[in-house]
Amino acid sequence: MINNSTSAFFERSTMGLSGLRKQAETIQNQLATGQKMARSSDDPVGASKLRLLARADSLSNIDTVNANRASTDLTLTDTALGSFADYIARVRELAMQAGNDTLTGTQRVGIATELEQIHGNLVALANTRDSAGHSLFGGETAGNAYTLDGSGNAVYAGTASAGELPLGDGQTVSRGLTGPEFLNFSVNGNPTDLMAVVKQLADAVGGAVADPAAAARDSLDALSTGLDAVTTSQTIVGARLAWIDLTTERRIDLSELRTNEQIEVGATDEASAIARLQEVMLALEASQASFAKLAKLSLFDVVG
Amino acid sequence: MASDLLSIAKSGAQTARTALDVTAQNIANASSDGYIRRSVRLEEVSAAGGYGRAGDVSLSGVRLDRVVRNADMFRQSEVRRTGSDAARANAEVAGLENIQSAVEQSNLYSSIVEYEASLQRLASDPVDSSLRASVVESARTMSRTFNIASSALDAVGTSLRFEATDSVDQVNVLATELSRVNLRLARAADASSDQTTLLDQRDSLLQQLSEHVDVTTTFNVDQTVTVRLGGSAGPQLVNGGAASTFAMATAANGTISFTLGAVAVTPAAGSLTGKSQALTKLADVRTNLDALANGLISTVNAAQANGAALDGSAGTAMFTGTGAGDIAVAFDDGAKIATAPSGSGANSRDPGNLTAMRNALATGDPAGNMDKLLFDISSAVAGRTITRDALNSIADSASVALQAQAGVDLDHEAVNLIRYQQAFQASGRVMQTAKDIFDTLIGIR
Repeated sequence: MINNSTSAFFERSTMGLSGLRKQAETIQNQLATGQKMARSSDDPVGASKLRLLARADSLSNIDTVNANRASTDLTLTDTALGSFADYIARVRELAMQAGNDTLTGTQRVGIATELEQIHGNLVALANTRDSAGHSLFGGETAGNAYTLDGSGNAVYAGTASAGELPLGDGQTVSRGLTGPEFLNFSVNGNPTDLMAVVKQLADAVGGAVADPAAAARDSLDALSTGLDAVTTSQTIVGARLAWIDLTTERRIDLSELRTNEQIEVGATDEASAIARLQEVMLALEASQASFAKLAKLSLFDVVG
Repeated sequence: MASDLLSIAKSGAQTARTALDVTAQNIANASSDGYIRRSVRLEEVSAAGGYGRAGDVSLSGVRLDRVVRNADMFRQSEVRRTGSDAARANAEVAGLENIQSAVEQSNLYSSIVEYEASLQRLASDPVDSSLRASVVESARTMSRTFNIASSALDAVGTSLRFEATDSVDQVNVLATELSRVNLRLARAADASSDQTTLLDQRDSLLQQLSEHVDVTTTFNVDQTVTVRLGGSAGPQLVNGGAASTFAMATAANGTISFTLGAVAVTPAAGSLTGKSQALTKLADVRTNLDALANGLISTVNAAQANGAALDGSAGTAMFTGTGAGDIAVAFDDGAKIATAPSGSGANSRDPGNLTAMRNALATGDPAGNMDKLLFDISSAVAGRTITRDALNSIADSASVALQAQAGVDLDHEAVNLIRYQQAFQASGRVMQTAKDIFDTLIGIR
């Protein structure tokens, strides 16, 4: 005999209805949060993927900050190099004036005074600070890039290299130039630097040598070599800025890819979720209605 | 011997009354837990003709043979077995889910990434005091998050062991109760309503017991039950009127083991097994988390020792402790972070040692290991959830199958109510007829 017990009927109905309800609630939760997963265990592989993507995102944000910083420092370097070039042009003008034999000694002293001023300005410019307040041309030194010795000559006090800044994905960029990289050059095989050239010129024009006009004319070669060194360095800085731009673009592309992947792995597909919710709701309503009808059927009502 | 119409009618009316009582009892207990539908078995009372009275009619009515308890032993034992499996899976998944939330909701992963990120930011300007302070703060956040995850795991372990202790007590209470029921069953008269009630109790107790541990049952002729734990060769929990003591022991790493009357026993199913499995996983996760924290501490401290702090002094340990529970930041001053290589002067901007530290961290990969740990737990939860759902639906259908067979069908009872009511009325009419016959005989003049 098949005995369909009343409690079994109610238990079965409860199981069916609560199962459907649970499904509907899961979909509703996915829609409300916009996330497919409420916990890692909902999709362990997807959750791990999302964690890795989030990690890459937060490290990439730091790379962006570092790249901006390098970019700022290099732009400052570029501006400073422009100023160096301007000063060299002015020194050349003055050297040419001083090279004129018709000038009087007093006039030369005036030129020498201006040259000394320019020397001071060049030293100050070489000690420019970067965005973080460190010496822009001093490499990794803690103090100034150039100091003046007892006789007023500028001496490099920085470190040998400017240091690299990571840009992410293993890429780095040199964050600046050290003073000697663009101020040092050699004339006729003798190493010298721009500040020394200007200092010697000022001293010579001021009367330290027997023939200041000739000394001034001689210095023109050295000055044009110095200008070359500075403009070459400007090109290098420009290339580095372009490199940073390139890595930044790449970082943005990667970040877009990551966002797409995050959406693909973690986000709820609303259209299909709503359709599925509708389907589950329909089944739930139908089973509720049929349960209500069946539960009302009692023989006691009829035989009473 | 002749028949007596009146006494036949009386027996009919009596049995109909009894059948109505049983029906009413069924209706009243339609939703009682563990109640098994009763039905009456009636038997004719008649005597065979004796010597020389071959043609004699000797009818004496009807009597109640027995109250039948519609229990199916097989389905009952299926409900116990599948229920035990489902209880184990439920307890295990619940425990694992708690472990998962303890590790995941502490946000340990993101705090480790944050620490890595702060070191990377420091690389842009190793002497910047605010960047150094941010490294110290993110280190502090990370170490506290480790502490939080560790204490959350401790809490999970404590609550699992507390529940297990309660389960063990329940098992002992149920076993004692079952031994008492056994004693009374041995004395109860066969097929009496007393016996059926005791049998209901026995089955209900067995089912409750199977929620906690898997039981192997042997039913004896006198309807008493012998219960063994840990398979059919395991030690006896209940034998007749005697119950052994079930006990739990906790190991140093927080896992639990069981004994029955001083004999070690390993239940294969039931919520206690599930809790024991969850605790084993918990000990595993704990070990991994401690190893992770310890690796991080030693990597960072070793790198610190190789470098120079901001003031040029030798680097000191950044973290103290040996595991997730006691990891702490050793200094508040960001200047003590050894970013420069050993031997550098004060305020050195050389990031050599910082790079070495970051490389060592990238090799040790604490964030990657954390991801692995989380993946390990979450995939265990996901896998066990599927098993649990399957076992639950098996247990549900076994329970519905038992209900369908042993439960009360109200429609059926409604029909019985009418049937026995009609039988009672008919017996009454028989009495009327007997009276009429008697009156007819009396009335002869």
